Amino acid sequence: MRVGFFLSEALGSLRRNWVMTMAAVITVFISTVILGGVLVLGENLNRGATSLENRVMIEVFIKDETTPQQQQEFQQRVLAMPEVKEVKFVSKDEALRRFQETVGSYVTKNLPTNPLPASFEVFVNDADQVDTVAARFYDDPIVDNTPGTQDGVQYAAKTVRRMLDTIDLVRWGMWAATIVFAVAAVLLISTTVRLSIFARRREVEIMRLVGATNWFIRWPFVIEGFITGLIGAILGALSVYVVNWAVADWLRNSVDYLEAYVYPLWWQGEGWPLGLLPTLAVLGGVLGAVGGMVALRRYLRT
Amino acid sequence: MIVFENVSKTYDLGVVGLQDFTCHVGKGEFVFLVGPSGSGKSTLIKLILKELEPTEGRILVAGRNLGTLTQRKVPLLRRNIGCVFQDFKLLPNKTVYENVAYALEVVGEPRRMIRRKVPEILSLVGLSEKTNSLPHEISGGEQQRVSVARAFVNHPPLLLADEPTGNIDPETAVGIMQLLVRINRTGTTVVVATHDREMVNRMRRRVLQLDAGRLVRDERRGSYDQPTDELGEEA
Ligand SMILES: Nc1ncnc2c1ncn2[C@@H]1O[C@H](COP(=O)(O)OP(=O)(O)OP(=O)(O)O)[C@@H](O)[C@H]1O
Ligand SMILES: [Mg+2]
Repeated sequence: MRVGFFLSEALGSLRRNWVMTMAAVITVFISTVILGGVLVLGENLNRGATSLENRVMIEVFIKDETTPQQQQEFQQRVLAMPEVKEVKFVSKDEALRRFQETVGSYVTKNLPTNPLPASFEVFVNDADQVDTVAARFYDDPIVDNTPGTQDGVQYAAKTVRRMLDTIDLVRWGMWAATIVFAVAAVLLISTTVRLSIFARRREVEIMRLVGATNWFIRWPFVIEGFITGLIGAILGALSVYVVNWAVADWLRNSVDYLEAYVYPLWWQGEGWPLGLLPTLAVLGGVLGAVGGMVALRRYLRT
Repeated sequence: MIVFENVSKTYDLGVVGLQDFTCHVGKGEFVFLVGPSGSGKSTLIKLILKELEPTEGRILVAGRNLGTLTQRKVPLLRRNIGCVFQDFKLLPNKTVYENVAYALEVVGEPRRMIRRKVPEILSLVGLSEKTNSLPHEISGGEQQRVSVARAFVNHPPLLLADEPTGNIDPETAVGIMQLLVRINRTGTTVVVATHDREMVNRMRRRVLQLDAGRLVRDERRGSYDQPTDELGEEA
């Protein structure tokens, strides 16, 4: 194969048809920005949902007068429940330290005694099980209820679940949107390439007449499509990354409890291991190459 | 080299391109194809290249039946046929040099050979000065010579030329004809469609005359006009 010849053919034609090239690059750019955006948003929602789920935790405050033995016994009992994933003990001192961390030490410096109760943090396997599990603690003698209430057991039940349901819905919606946009991208790319090939069908005809094989004619077009797709996708990936990074930075600085995930550019390691750039670049390049091949097909038959 | 057996080509709307055409051109022959405009000369050449399919009949080129030749083999056939097209068929975005080189790239000629052969053939057709011009930057006659150069550069066993001297001044035309003769002497079969009466008469080669798609004359060492014609009447 004459790599050098095909490459210079492809580059020459990219340069000559630069208006068409720009159109194709922009098409790929828009498509990859959409795909990349969905990727980043989806990953953020996934992570948000996971961390919310992990935060579905029941706080059980216990009376000051309970003995360590009672505490241990309680912990064992709770751990034995099949729905429970983990139980953490937060001592009075630990509770005070956390409190100081959030409000500053000057508030608590002069307290004569520590007014905060110790507590157990109970984590369940599934957010749906919090109600059942929490109900078991309401009347436990160890729990520090204000008389007449059940405020010794606290958990963020309904809100959390409603948020999780919403996230699920949004996630499905985004999958649907991804599929629609992927199809649209393929159509757009192949239309663009077909237009540029239509303009050159006479050239293709001449090449055939002087004895060029189909692949000899095809290679420059495939390379051209690949380069076009690659450039568009790289620009798209970089844009998505920069916007992702800027939004995350802004969120970090302005909203305390919200942290956005910045999708790594090169490598992310888990799940789908590749970062934004390689993922979208490979996608763009392959789409472009296939687009070039598909669009040429009808001109390579006699 | 070329065998036509009762070949007919009818275009859409019943336009006749070629009608019951039978002939045999041997290896190494030099043949003129003459006849009025629209008599089927270009149709014949397109059939040999398998650019067109005959409506009826059988065509053999270098022993191969074009009717049963698969699409994949067509490029191979065309690499063994040099063709000067009536409308030149130059690649519009390639320079004169690149156009000629393309015929060599297609057959996988080494870079080194391309760099030697292309300037050689270009100087032979008198285009050394125009090496880096694009087709639209040169005259019709010059474009025709590029087409000639591209057809010759491979030294194919069969050479088809559809009016290779149509747009060229008499002197260059003689040069092109001499080139064709020289190529023919190396064993290449040459078929030339032409309206150039003087040339045909001077060369005295085999002449096939077409009229409305039919073969009306096949004469060894023939002239442009039928011997029975009143001399000069049609000139
Ligand atoms: N693609 C086509 N579709 C329909 N009719 C065609 C086509 N090509 C040629 N013809 C017709 O076929 C007949 C033969 O044409 P052809 O091109 O073979 O003539 P020719 O001998 O080469 O003429 P000229 O000397 O002008 O080049 C003409 O009547 C022409 O109009
Ligand atoms: Mg003709």
